[in-house]
Amino acid sequence: MLKRSLLALLLVLFAAAATPVSADGHLERQALEIGKQLRCPVCQNLSVADSSSQLAEQMRELIRKRLEAGESREQIIAYFVERYGEEILLDPPRQGFSQLVWWGALLIPLVGVVLVVVVVRDRLRQREAEAPAVAFFSEEERQRYESILAQEIEQAERTRLW
Amino acid sequence: MRLGDIGQIALVVAFALAAYGLVSAALGGVHRRPEMVASARGAGYGVALLVSVASLVLLAALLTKDFTLRYVYENTSRDAPLDVTLSGFWGGQAGSLLFWAWALALLGAVVLAVEFRSYRALMPGFLGTLFAIQIFFLAVLAFVSSPFQQHPAALPDGRGLNPLLWDDGMRIHPPLLLAGYMSFSVPFAFAMAALLSGRLRREWLQPVRRWMLVAWGIQGAGLLAGAWWAYHVLGWGGYWGWDPVENVALLPWLTATAFLHSVMAQERRGLFKVWNLGLVIASFALAIFGTFVVRSGVLASVHSFAQSTVGPVFFAFLGVTLVAALCLLFYRLPQLPPEGHLDSVASREASFLLNNFLLLSIAAATFWGTIFPLVSELTRGAKVTVGGPFYQQVNGPLALGLLVLMGLGPLLAWRRTSLMALWRNVRWPLAAGLLVGIVLFALGVQRGLAALAFAAAAFTLGSIGLEFWRGVRARRAMTGEPRPVALWHLVARARRRYGGYLVHLSMVLIAFGVIGSSFYQTEHVVTFRKGETHSVGRYTFTYQGMAEHVEPGVVAIVAPLSAADGATALGTLAPERRIHRNWEQQPVSGVAYQTTLPWLEDIYVILSGWGDDGSATFRIYINPLVSLIWLGGAVFLLGTLIAAWPAAARPRASVLRPAPQEVLVAEA
Repeated sequence: MLKRSLLALLLVLFAAAATPVSADGHLERQALEIGKQLRCPVCQNLSVADSSSQLAEQMRELIRKRLEAGESREQIIAYFVERYGEEILLDPPRQGFSQLVWWGALLIPLVGVVLVVVVVRDRLRQREAEAPAVAFFSEEERQRYESILAQEIEQAERTRLW
Repeated sequence: MRLGDIGQIALVVAFALAAYGLVSAALGGVHRRPEMVASARGAGYGVALLVSVASLVLLAALLTKDFTLRYVYENTSRDAPLDVTLSGFWGGQAGSLLFWAWALALLGAVVLAVEFRSYRALMPGFLGTLFAIQIFFLAVLAFVSSPFQQHPAALPDGRGLNPLLWDDGMRIHPPLLLAGYMSFSVPFAFAMAALLSGRLRREWLQPVRRWMLVAWGIQGAGLLAGAWWAYHVLGWGGYWGWDPVENVALLPWLTATAFLHSVMAQERRGLFKVWNLGLVIASFALAIFGTFVVRSGVLASVHSFAQSTVGPVFFAFLGVTLVAALCLLFYRLPQLPPEGHLDSVASREASFLLNNFLLLSIAAATFWGTIFPLVSELTRGAKVTVGGPFYQQVNGPLALGLLVLMGLGPLLAWRRTSLMALWRNVRWPLAAGLLVGIVLFALGVQRGLAALAFAAAAFTLGSIGLEFWRGVRARRAMTGEPRPVALWHLVARARRRYGGYLVHLSMVLIAFGVIGSSFYQTEHVVTFRKGETHSVGRYTFTYQGMAEHVEPGVVAIVAPLSAADGATALGTLAPERRIHRNWEQQPVSGVAYQTTLPWLEDIYVILSGWGDDGSATFRIYINPLVSLIWLGGAVFLLGTLIAAWPAAARPRASVLRPAPQEVLVAEA
């Protein structure tokens, strides 16, 4: 009994949230697109478009209504930013303080590239500088090593596993 | 004495024993007293036993629904089925930390049993580091956030587990990630042992590499299980949301991947020693950071961090660990000179350098994006959100570079590759990539980026195929075995290498899935009246009407759709809405999905709402190629197992012998 009435209550609750989708497919797509840029405030990192929470459902409905009223995408997004703060934007804006996140993401690989180039050049130069050191080997030793090397190469060639 | 008291006592005694073990290992190491080190080993086994007792007590309390324990009250309820009750073990903060400590204690005991004799000189440092980590976790468990806190009297029923955590995925994903996080402690402890003892030649490399591979495999499996869970439970049509908790789990896996590659340059050539130690330290620090982020809620907001009981102590532990490890590394710098040079940009070593650069760039950008909301909140008091689009734009190109490099790197020789040799190796994979790119373009894949990404994946696939084909051909030439047998022996004889290639193959499969689903996912919201038929893309759906199921503690609303592809019936998809008692504000979607052939499209349906007139609204996603991600996951596990399997039994010649012939190649 109790469960029945609970179910009935829930059905009513959800019926309010579930809205018949307008026949206007274009409008629906636009609403979805706007929803993709907004964060569902009660979820963990889901967009308003992706979330199945009641709040997200209501926000989608609000977006639809505002689109029907002729508001532009920018106006609707600005409305949500005003109400919920910048936090509502899933993509941090590329201006003001938030552009730092983009600059950081650009800077990190750049620093990495510079580091790699420096290391490679440094190591390559070291090799050139130390190249004569190889003359430490006597001619006899060199021949012995070379014959070992030749053998190993031959063996590797045979198995072709290198 | 109540059950909870036994658990609490076991934790406190384990803490004391770990402290004894630390002192004993340290004294044994400093004064060269093997019997003290052996005693510390005994303490290691003892800690494993005691933490097991505590964990079993908590499990028993959960299973017997002993609501005198606060943790049991908060994480299960009388009507929860057995498997859900088990998930309660790691469903809350104290329990998940206990699981972490338990897994580490058990793994530590396994490592001691396997490695103690082989690496006696490293054992004092290894044991000391391991005990230091355990002391921290046991102190938190025993004195800050105990799972054995009691209510004065038993409560009639528990609050129950969060419904998002009821799913089967919850039995696999969190324990795998917790186990992954903790297992980075083992390679870290071996690296610290090498730095502490000053034995920095080649001896320490093998255990560090082996256990890093284990940690990396567990963490990778945990990430994949997480993606799978997100896909079939969270109900938003995707598998990876760049959620902070996902991001921090990815970070140590990325640095470990970098280590597993660049360590080869150290084994072969004695290069990148300091760098590799840095990667081991970074992986461990990021694993602790991951546990800390998950448990302190610091990224949700600064305030929840301040209120959390474990946040500040974790932060302090992380800081102390990092400073100590880096000081030690700095102190040993003079003992870690490179033994060789980089000879050419077109060499295997250089490709590992590039690999490390790409992996660490992804890791650093992800880290930056993840902590940026915190930086913003601390510096100007305003929160921002860094969501999926940021990571896709930043990490996408880097991942594409990695994909190409994965095909190119194995074709490069050590030291240097002549352009001719490179061309010989690269021409067939390149042809495969070009062919796929052109065919896709001709077939009308209009998005250049998607065609490019698919072509890159095809190139790498070609390169991996070429490696296998060549190996099999060489073996057949030698032994005359039939192809499957030759392949089997080839993989069995060079497990590390071909296991690695299998992991590369899994990454290509995952790349195909990710590219397909991120460029070509379509999403439709459709409202059906009962009996109505609508078509979505190639498919038609007929709504059969709504039904309800009442299960213990759960009311499920089921709305089956029968699907068809043209004239072919595909069966029934039955998405649900599940409403859990005590969690009415948080209904859970029961996703229904089906993979169709031949294009491997997933039809993925969520029930998003219903009206009083019997109509229902569905969200229908068509997700191409996602099933390749799960196939890739299976190949990943297989490859990791092959690579990790018996490396201990046959040490590679190149590890032990600093191959003399290489000295002369430079001269020639």
